[in-house]
Amino acid sequence: MTNVLTGILTNSLQAVFAMLIFPGGLFVLALGLFLKGVDRKVLARLQRRVGPPLYQPVLDILKLATKETLIPDTANEGAFQLAPVLGLTGMLVTAALLPIGGVWNGVTGLGDLLILLYLLPIPAMGLMLAGGSSSSPYGALGFSREMCMMFAYEMPLIASFLAVAVRVGGAGGSGGSLLSLPAIMDYQYLHGPLLFDPVMLPAALALLLFIPGTMGSGLFDIPEAEPEVIEGPLLEYSGPLLAAFHLMSAVKLVVVLELAVALFFPNPLVATGDGGVMVNLLWHICKCLVLLMVSVTCFRAATGRLRLDQGFSFFVKYTSPLALASLGLAFLLR
Amino acid sequence: MLQLLCKLASRSPWIYRINAGSCNGCDVEMATTALIPRYDVERLGCKYCGSPRHADVVLISGPLTLRVRDKVLRVYNEIPHPKVTVAVGVCPVSGGCFRDGYSVGADIDHYIPLDVIVPGCPPRPQAIMEGILKAVEVWRARLEESVCCHS
Ligand code: SF4
Repeated sequence: MTNVLTGILTNSLQAVFAMLIFPGGLFVLALGLFLKGVDRKVLARLQRRVGPPLYQPVLDILKLATKETLIPDTANEGAFQLAPVLGLTGMLVTAALLPIGGVWNGVTGLGDLLILLYLLPIPAMGLMLAGGSSSSPYGALGFSREMCMMFAYEMPLIASFLAVAVRVGGAGGSGGSLLSLPAIMDYQYLHGPLLFDPVMLPAALALLLFIPGTMGSGLFDIPEAEPEVIEGPLLEYSGPLLAAFHLMSAVKLVVVLELAVALFFPNPLVATGDGGVMVNLLWHICKCLVLLMVSVTCFRAATGRLRLDQGFSFFVKYTSPLALASLGLAFLLR
Repeated sequence: MLQLLCKLASRSPWIYRINAGSCNGCDVEMATTALIPRYDVERLGCKYCGSPRHADVVLISGPLTLRVRDKVLRVYNEIPHPKVTVAVGVCPVSGGCFRDGYSVGADIDHYIPLDVIVPGCPPRPQAIMEGILKAVEVWRARLEESVCCHS
């Protein structure tokens, strides 16, 4: 009895630690703001500008915290204030669930692809709630754009999740599929990263295109297009609530990058123990940085914005078939 | 501690532009010249934002024509405190070449307090940037005032 109790206690303590400090909470906030800073700096250098300092996102958050919060008269006050909190907490919980190769194996029993599928759209939901409750026409436009894009980019995401699950499950000999993220990572430690698996390459590409889609950068900067719908759902927000949205987007960036790393290239650099964890953590951050450069920064610097219908059909026509091709091949080669 | 917060916070001024009936000369200077690589204002932490609710530093150009007056005042009131205004060009101060025109009422500073004035028709980008820097100083003082009053 006591054993069970202590077991539960350590498990829940572990979960709380995971959510508040590492790998969720503080760690993910710091990493997210750092990645955002790198993104802005590198983008500026690519455009031959000097660019803001690396810690500029932190300054922005501090600044927003000192500003006044205005709530429009016609807005639905409760929903208006709930939206950023919902998005930020949802993302922080998701970040705590994601395992990091060679560092952290995730909360036991929770690193599941199905749960992630439910948690990942939360920021988009937050933005939609924000746009809908702010009673501004631009907010409503942003709301509908966000929803359209969500339908478009969820499809390749689900398909590439399934492709990975079927591939890993099939190789396990059971002929089924495997949805547990730690098990998927174990498979890759044994058989090499899925990124170098020719069958999974299209799915990896699809996920690479999903990242700018969900972050709304480059071609897919549609829901928050500044010159068109003046930042859409965020239009009416000011002060700390806006800061919460910026933090949400920073954490979301980390979450999607870490997810892609866990699915396709989680392999640690060295064995754990004797400071190996620190090396692996740095290695993990390096992987996130490279992915950020490829899928967000360079993509954003090289491309303009698509129209909503073009963005939608881009995902339906090009990205989803890539992921579905992987899924089909994985099924055939089981 | 609060002082430090204000000091750090004042390094992220977000800029919002209001066109109060300008001839577009000043707007071109603000939009294209001051944000191209050569005079990158992002290195000061500045960011052009589309919504008045995100703004800290407001750049106003144009003589405030009768037609846009109420709308400009409404937008100005939607900017959260603390904020500073920069008048770009001679138009906001005196009406410039539109002075005494049929469509121009009183000068802007009858309605909106102008903190920094950047004269010129249109002013050079360097002058606009210097104006922004001056405005940031004013803004920092206001920030300290408001943060220390709240606590
Ligand atoms: S100051 Fe000169 S350039 Fe600027 S808006 Fe007035 S007339 Fe145009």
